[in-house]
Amino acid sequence: MNQDPWIWIGAFLTIGILSFLYKENPFYRFCEHLFVGVANGYAIAVTYHLVLTPRLILPLQGGNYWVLIPMVIGLLYFFRFVPRLSWLVRIPIAVALGFSSGVSIPAIIQADVIKQIQGTVIYPHLFSNWQQGLWAVLIFIGVLSTIFFFFFSREHKGVLKPISYLGIIFIMVGFGASFGYTVMARLSLLIGRLQFLFGTWLGLIK
Amino acid sequence: MKFWEYLLRIDRRIVFLLVGLSVLIPLLFPFRIKTNVMPYTQKLFDVIETIDPENQGILISADYDPQTMPELHPMFIALLRHAFARRIPVLVMTSYIQGPGLAQQGLNQVTEEFNARAQTNQDSILYGRDYVFLGYPPLWLAAVLRMGSDISQAFPADYYKNRTASLEMMKKIKNYNDIGVIISIAGSAIPQSWVIYANTRFGVRVGSGATAVTAPDFYPFLQTGQMCGMIAGLKGASEYEYLVSTKYNLTGATPATRGMGSQSIAHLMILLLVIIGNIGYFATRRKK
Repeated sequence: MNQDPWIWIGAFLTIGILSFLYKENPFYRFCEHLFVGVANGYAIAVTYHLVLTPRLILPLQGGNYWVLIPMVIGLLYFFRFVPRLSWLVRIPIAVALGFSSGVSIPAIIQADVIKQIQGTVIYPHLFSNWQQGLWAVLIFIGVLSTIFFFFFSREHKGVLKPISYLGIIFIMVGFGASFGYTVMARLSLLIGRLQFLFGTWLGLIK
Repeated sequence: MKFWEYLLRIDRRIVFLLVGLSVLIPLLFPFRIKTNVMPYTQKLFDVIETIDPENQGILISADYDPQTMPELHPMFIALLRHAFARRIPVLVMTSYIQGPGLAQQGLNQVTEEFNARAQTNQDSILYGRDYVFLGYPPLWLAAVLRMGSDISQAFPADYYKNRTASLEMMKKIKNYNDIGVIISIAGSAIPQSWVIYANTRFGVRVGSGATAVTAPDFYPFLQTGQMCGMIAGLKGASEYEYLVSTKYNLTGATPATRGMGSQSIAHLMILLLVIIGNIGYFATRRKK
């Protein structure tokens, strides 16, 4: 059994969180609140040491006063709490939105739209290998039929009905794959905790 | 017929207990399962195999936090082992505020493991020569874009407050041209953002280590070649551990591989419960 007090604390907090499986209880709530508090406290400390110190405090001490501009813009966020001057908060929001939109929109269109459309298009080169060709056709049919399913400005009857029904099948297959993966993910987290409890803490797993 | 009705009303706590036991017992009494390596795990492994350590390094972005650690931390360890075994320079960063501690822990573990076997200075894994930990950048997007032109401008100081440009390894690695592959290990959509901002814009290869929940989101990027490989979930991590340990004969903790017995038995238990539930449902419905 491990002698490290931190491991013991970790073990008791883990048991506290897992106790929710039996039923809601104060031990669980204490652990949950402690986790949220510690996570936020940790985030503040890391932000101070890894962001504010190297990017603001040290440059200011070194005589670089340009960093005062982003500092002032950032501080404007706090005017959210002053009703008469709360409009000033729009300035940092505008800067953040402008920067992220300007950078993101062209890149996202390129990566998420154009490249994905290219990936769906069937071209002769794909049929050099029959497996690759089969998957390309399947992806083409799957994408088209799924898009048809989400085409709601027309009633799904006539030709639209079987195509959108095929779309539902593809969507269900997708959901099934996602669910299977989700089960695996949740079990992996449980495995991690049990490895900690029965290995690191109790020493029963070598 | 009462039996079937009972099956439909099993207390959820009994289900939790059964699943818990099916996870715990294989951990206490482990058994080996044959590892079938999935194509995308193999692809990522092959990409790292093709990197020339003299000319290029790899960037591992540990974009995860304690919530997803059981799945993702083994991937980080396995990737570090692979890179160090091939003597590929490794840059590590994190885009999650809770990530630096985990990344540092992983780096310490693997460097200690390699240095315990080292005979000479050349065999050892040294900070600044073999790897650099860049830490957590404010405004991640700006850092990613800036690294395309100059990494030491995006990170003027490393995690340990050394001047990045002064480190021996950073004299060889200036920007994405000197990075063979970026691997983002994340439980969120961060790898997709790496594709958007690093791959699309700068052409650098991007791979991912994903939790099983997020892995299906990345298949479209793998299919189009925007991602060069993926380690998916605990199974992917165990596959990568297997590839690295068999090729380089490395010994060391393999938590993902150890967890696969539990994963398999627990999946069988869930399948069994689903089948029993369905039989109960159809049996009672026929009666009505």
